[in-house]
Amino acid sequence: MSSGNQKPYSNPYLAGVFLGVVLLASFLLLGAGLGASSGIARLGAFLSGLILPTHTFSSEYFGAWGEKPLHYYLVFMLLGVFLGGLFSAILSRRVQKSVVEKGNAISSKIRLIYALTGGILVGFASRLAGGCTSGQALTGGALLLTGSLIFLICVFAGGYAAAYFVRRQWHD
Amino acid sequence: MIRTFYGTDTLNSPAAFFIALTIGFFFGLTLERAGFGSSRRLAGIFYFKDMAVLKVMFTALLTAMIGLSFCIGLGVIDPSTEIYFMKTYYGAYIIAGLIFGVGFVMSGWCPGTATVGMASGKLDAVVFLAGSVLGSIFFNELFSIVKPLVTWGQSTQQNMGQEGLAFVYNSLGMSKSAFGFLFTLIAVVCFWGSEYIEQQHSDEIGKTGYFNTPFLRAFSLILMVSAGGLFVLDGSVNAEKHKAVSSSYGLHMSEKALLRDVASAVDHVEPEELADYLSNQDPAVIAVDVRPAKEFNAFHIRGAFNAELPDLPQFVQHHTDKRMIVLYSNGMTHPAQARDSLARMGFRNVYLLTNGLGGFIERCLKPVSLRKEPMPENSIRQINLWRAYFYSFDNARPSVIGSNPSADSAKFSDMPPFLPGFVDADWLAVLMEKPGLKMIDFRDQPEYNTNHISGSYAMSIENFRGVLDGVPSMLMPANVIAARLSLMGIEPVFRFSQKRR
Repeated sequence: MSSGNQKPYSNPYLAGVFLGVVLLASFLLLGAGLGASSGIARLGAFLSGLILPTHTFSSEYFGAWGEKPLHYYLVFMLLGVFLGGLFSAILSRRVQKSVVEKGNAISSKIRLIYALTGGILVGFASRLAGGCTSGQALTGGALLLTGSLIFLICVFAGGYAAAYFVRRQWHD
Repeated sequence: MIRTFYGTDTLNSPAAFFIALTIGFFFGLTLERAGFGSSRRLAGIFYFKDMAVLKVMFTALLTAMIGLSFCIGLGVIDPSTEIYFMKTYYGAYIIAGLIFGVGFVMSGWCPGTATVGMASGKLDAVVFLAGSVLGSIFFNELFSIVKPLVTWGQSTQQNMGQEGLAFVYNSLGMSKSAFGFLFTLIAVVCFWGSEYIEQQHSDEIGKTGYFNTPFLRAFSLILMVSAGGLFVLDGSVNAEKHKAVSSSYGLHMSEKALLRDVASAVDHVEPEELADYLSNQDPAVIAVDVRPAKEFNAFHIRGAFNAELPDLPQFVQHHTDKRMIVLYSNGMTHPAQARDSLARMGFRNVYLLTNGLGGFIERCLKPVSLRKEPMPENSIRQINLWRAYFYSFDNARPSVIGSNPSADSAKFSDMPPFLPGFVDADWLAVLMEKPGLKMIDFRDQPEYNTNHISGSYAMSIENFRGVLDGVPSMLMPANVIAARLSLMGIEPVFRFSQKRR
């Protein structure tokens, strides 16, 4: 499916400037920066509420979001991210059908187990930090918040420390 | 001055949802165009193969940082009220960062990029997102265990009146512009280093990098010049500050210096600060209640004096030796106006209490058991000490009925003759089981669910509010409120008016 005629990626510096302008617009209009993990956590609260409503809505963390956890601006932002990504991927002819991105050295199953485990760790850590690479590192970094920059440094420290052990998934 | 959705407390309005959706759209579009819909490309940074993540993230961070600094410097936006800042919790963020990093390198995704990956049809992105949802649910389930961790290691810095809000330039003891410039310089060095590394590691023939290209040279220069502009901004602000300080030595404060004080909020005293001074009986600090005597007699902060607005100059004249005279009222308008007026008259030791009496009660005196957010051990101790101090004198409580109750004397007829009235907890304890008395808990549902007085009903205050003739947030008509209350078996009774007849 990976077609040869897909468009090249943007110049990363210009993409960065554009992303910075989007973030600035978010500060000036919303009064808050970008965020992705909150939307995911709200989805988690919603799904948890579908299965175990009483338990979820009386729980201390999810319960504080009320009975309509999806009624939140960052949920809409996440939806926007999906639509924007889809729009750009279609324009650049980069939409593929159910591809698992990996090196040839490992099976798709192992790659998906890595993705799932990584996802669980990221989902948990984002709640502990109250944000992810978007909401904490990028947004808080632009505000020059000490905690956000500490978080960013630790993300890379953790990443580089573990990189060696999971390197085979990208080997061809 | 821009008002934001955060500043006007309307982040959860349909208009904000639409703006968030639009901003998200451009966010996702940029991530995709930068190539972040690919986990291999994202993970590349950890193997020094593809440094796009660093280039895009660092550039975006600097662009927004420099842009926002200019907006603040030029007075386009007031960050202290219009922008949401996250607090710094060293312990929580270090642990979370490390875990996040491991998850990031394992999966090759983070939440925003995976959403774009899903839009590009990547199955590993979908699985990652499912994992993140699960991770969030685990966090909720384990919240009782991780709760102390969430606020672990709060910074001792205080900025814009928010404790724990820490700026990195303060942490490093630098000026904002000096740090901004240094940060930009580090970024430019990282960009050149990344391009060099990519050139060395590149196994693709004919792949074009930016190392030492005219583009990268021009881009680096533009970044450095923009960051240098922060000094100019800083310089002009400092010059203004200097002027303000020098003129304030004159007998009368210049209007400009006065406005500068207002802008920087140096005329505010936080409730916690006042509570500390008063409970330690600091002789150099006095609190002045500027409400009418009737309200003062009903309740006031222990140790406060009562002086109505027209009497203030005379009162302050007698206390020029004090370090701080803190004015308070129910709100902040009157004390603020009075402080400004007194400052014009040349009194330099007058301050006002942030958030007024309501804020003082909310932040210093509200029982720990009624608070939503988890509190560290030392805050709990502090609040209990304050409660013990401020509530241990006669005028500390609003006048209540049945203050000295005995089980037999408590009667419904003790109800206050006019509303709003307060009843004593002991009075309630005797009568709560009796028919004819209903209790409604107006706190949030989760708080009600966690704990409530047995037999009380939960009701949201929102039930009384709604759109009336197209105007939002209006009190609903009496018959609607009556209908809603009747669901709990509460029927309107006009006992008080009958009694007066």
